[in-house]
Amino acid sequence: MNLDPAMLARIQFAFTVSFHIIFPTISIGLAMFLAIIEGLWLKTRDPLYLQIYRFWLGIFAMAFGVGVVTGIVLSFEFGLSFARFGQLAGPAIGPMIGLEVLTSFFLEAGFLGIMLFGLHRVGPKLHFFATCMVALGTLLSASWILSANSWMQTPDGIALENGHLIVTDWLKVIVNPSWLYRLPHMLTAAYITGSFLVSGVGAWYLLKGKHESFGRKTVSMGTAFATVLIAGQVFLGDILYGTMLRHQPAKMQAAEGFWEKQSQSPAPYYWFIIPDQENQRNRVAIGMPYLGSIWLTHSLNGRVEGLKNTARDHQPSMGLVFYGFRVMYGIALIMFGLCVASLWLRWQRRLFTTRWFLRALVVMAPSGVIATLGGWYVAETGRQPWVIYGILRTVDAVSPVPAGALLSTLIAFVGVYTLFMTAFLIFAGHLIRRGPEASPAQTEASGSVKNAFRPQVMIGAERSL
Amino acid sequence: MNLPLLSALFATFALTLYVMLDGFDLGVGALLLIQPDEKQRDRMVDAIMPTWDGNETWLIMAGVSLLAAFPIAYGVLLPAFYLPLIAMLLALGLRGVSFEFRYQVDRHRCLWDIAFSVGSIVAALAQGLIVGGLIQGVAVAEGQRFAGSVFDVFRPFPLLTALSVLGGYSVLGAGWLHLKATGPLRAFSERMLRLTTPIFVALAAAVCVVATMIQPGVRAAWFKYEVPLALIAGLFLVISGVLMRGIGRRPDGRPFFLGLALFALGVAGLGITIFPNIVPFRISLWAAASSTLSHVFLLIGGAIVTPVVLAYSVFAYRVFRGKTPAEGWEV
Repeated sequence: MNLDPAMLARIQFAFTVSFHIIFPTISIGLAMFLAIIEGLWLKTRDPLYLQIYRFWLGIFAMAFGVGVVTGIVLSFEFGLSFARFGQLAGPAIGPMIGLEVLTSFFLEAGFLGIMLFGLHRVGPKLHFFATCMVALGTLLSASWILSANSWMQTPDGIALENGHLIVTDWLKVIVNPSWLYRLPHMLTAAYITGSFLVSGVGAWYLLKGKHESFGRKTVSMGTAFATVLIAGQVFLGDILYGTMLRHQPAKMQAAEGFWEKQSQSPAPYYWFIIPDQENQRNRVAIGMPYLGSIWLTHSLNGRVEGLKNTARDHQPSMGLVFYGFRVMYGIALIMFGLCVASLWLRWQRRLFTTRWFLRALVVMAPSGVIATLGGWYVAETGRQPWVIYGILRTVDAVSPVPAGALLSTLIAFVGVYTLFMTAFLIFAGHLIRRGPEASPAQTEASGSVKNAFRPQVMIGAERSL
Repeated sequence: MNLPLLSALFATFALTLYVMLDGFDLGVGALLLIQPDEKQRDRMVDAIMPTWDGNETWLIMAGVSLLAAFPIAYGVLLPAFYLPLIAMLLALGLRGVSFEFRYQVDRHRCLWDIAFSVGSIVAALAQGLIVGGLIQGVAVAEGQRFAGSVFDVFRPFPLLTALSVLGGYSVLGAGWLHLKATGPLRAFSERMLRLTTPIFVALAAAVCVVATMIQPGVRAAWFKYEVPLALIAGLFLVISGVLMRGIGRRPDGRPFFLGLALFALGVAGLGITIFPNIVPFRISLWAAASSTLSHVFLLIGGAIVTPVVLAYSVFAYRVFRGKTPAEGWEV
């Protein structure tokens, strides 16, 4: 078999980055949720809030730890598998990632320990401050990374001289045209992910008839947050859609599944296609009539632009972009429906007793993660064949590493990451089954792979006093 | 102002801190394999537990500084050391996980200890391979593309440096235990120091000698900077002697701090030998440098934030000064 190094490098990067993003998505969302819960606890002194806080802290710590370990790998992969990308983009994205390491790693490393173990040592107020700083750290980290990634989508503030990239204006590099919309979109996605995770676990307890007050509070809060956030996300998504249509038309053409320069009128909204990139057509396409025109052109018979508007060698692979978008959008629609239902049930005072609704929440618990992955697949595969849009093609960025080496390291990554994921799921499942009442006053070191042991700082500080 | 030089100093600073700090906890991890008593192994892990995580952050800082300030070198060196780097990343990840899980289980703790130790050893060897590969030389085409094979690094000389780095980290690890441990573990640390220090010195000397034989660039550096390099070599030997004499005596920290000094000398020697290149003997700092504003951004950010990070790290070490409590930190 003849293996293509470029394809293997892409699969390896896709695998490691997909695996990684699961964990920051969870920890960004949960960090904010924990900050809110602790704020409420400080305000009301209701012990239920403290119980919720302790329970979710354990799962947060684990997600955070795996996120850190898998994130380190990425910062090296820019050069390992895509050397030319590192060389060209280094002047722009390198300093941004450097500042991410310095600013957010510092905040997180400094305050995570206090957050995990320090409640009885520093008192509630300082502890709340620590929680807020960790939440801020995750937010800053997301901000730098989204800035770097958005720069790859819509590069700005640079000039090319003799094949070298020169930064001419840092403000334009950091505040590039898509960052302003992609950062809130990603943060909202992470917060929605957290909301559904929290309400899903609460709903499971309610269905089991266990931990009633914990279940009620978290289902109530989770669905309330989700409702507000999903409404905002519809709005943010729509603006981002317009922005990307201007900057990367090919991505949005591929996302809708049409090939012809102008679709039929009225345009359907496709939910299932079997694209045939070779012959620039769909083998099968199933959709809802009229809906494409209505959603995409806001008229009854508008036409939608297809992928043939983009030269063939500049087209992304339609299948990946289309299904990434459908997964994200489909889940968002279901979330939206559930949120509307939650409003109705809340008004009817049946939010905690309607079993189909609770079951749906349980099923939807990991949905935010899947939708976020879908969204990243749109962003990343839709940018192809470019790695820096319009500047460097992915195939030209690949390192001179033989396919055999790439394949064996890919297998090693899959093996080791499977171990990480298995451990995460076993320990998270264990915590959930055990229930919030069993949550120790001090969270165990169990979760965080990297930072969980930080708290001894506080023990030591006490001793030295 | 010579921005690439400043950035190189910043990257070297991060790398030196990394080698010294993660060096000792990787060393303790490596020694775990030859400690038969599980209770003693618990104490060994306790001794590095509070601070090892912060140590590793310096590795990321060094790597990202290279990307930001010397992207050309980053794009040549990372593919060249593809295999040892991936092995190192996986080993460090596995080690972090084993660190965690050994506390989760009572029955199979020894399996996790093996994973922990093997992870530490593989990471140390991989780093040594990279240093050896650097000195041996990396094939470069068109001034910016790695033109060799990813297997080039598995040659006798890099394997020698790999063993030397593992030996050095073991000295640091044993030195750390000498400082932190009491009772039987302290006796273990003394035995280990007596065993590993001469091995490390012999290996380091062999590395120096072989390097001049296989790499003309190293020979040239010896003629060019004969005084500083001879001074470093002499100091290295003297300090090793003082270290040996300090084993089992007060102050408890002497072998550890002298071990750190050995590593500082090693980095200085390596730096002098390859300066002004960043890809040794092939690409200079200035040829590999990033754009002016990239250096400015990195350096200003580094100048503002690094002191805060350092202050925090010093604080973390300060609160854990003294002996590791026999019952662990948790009590």
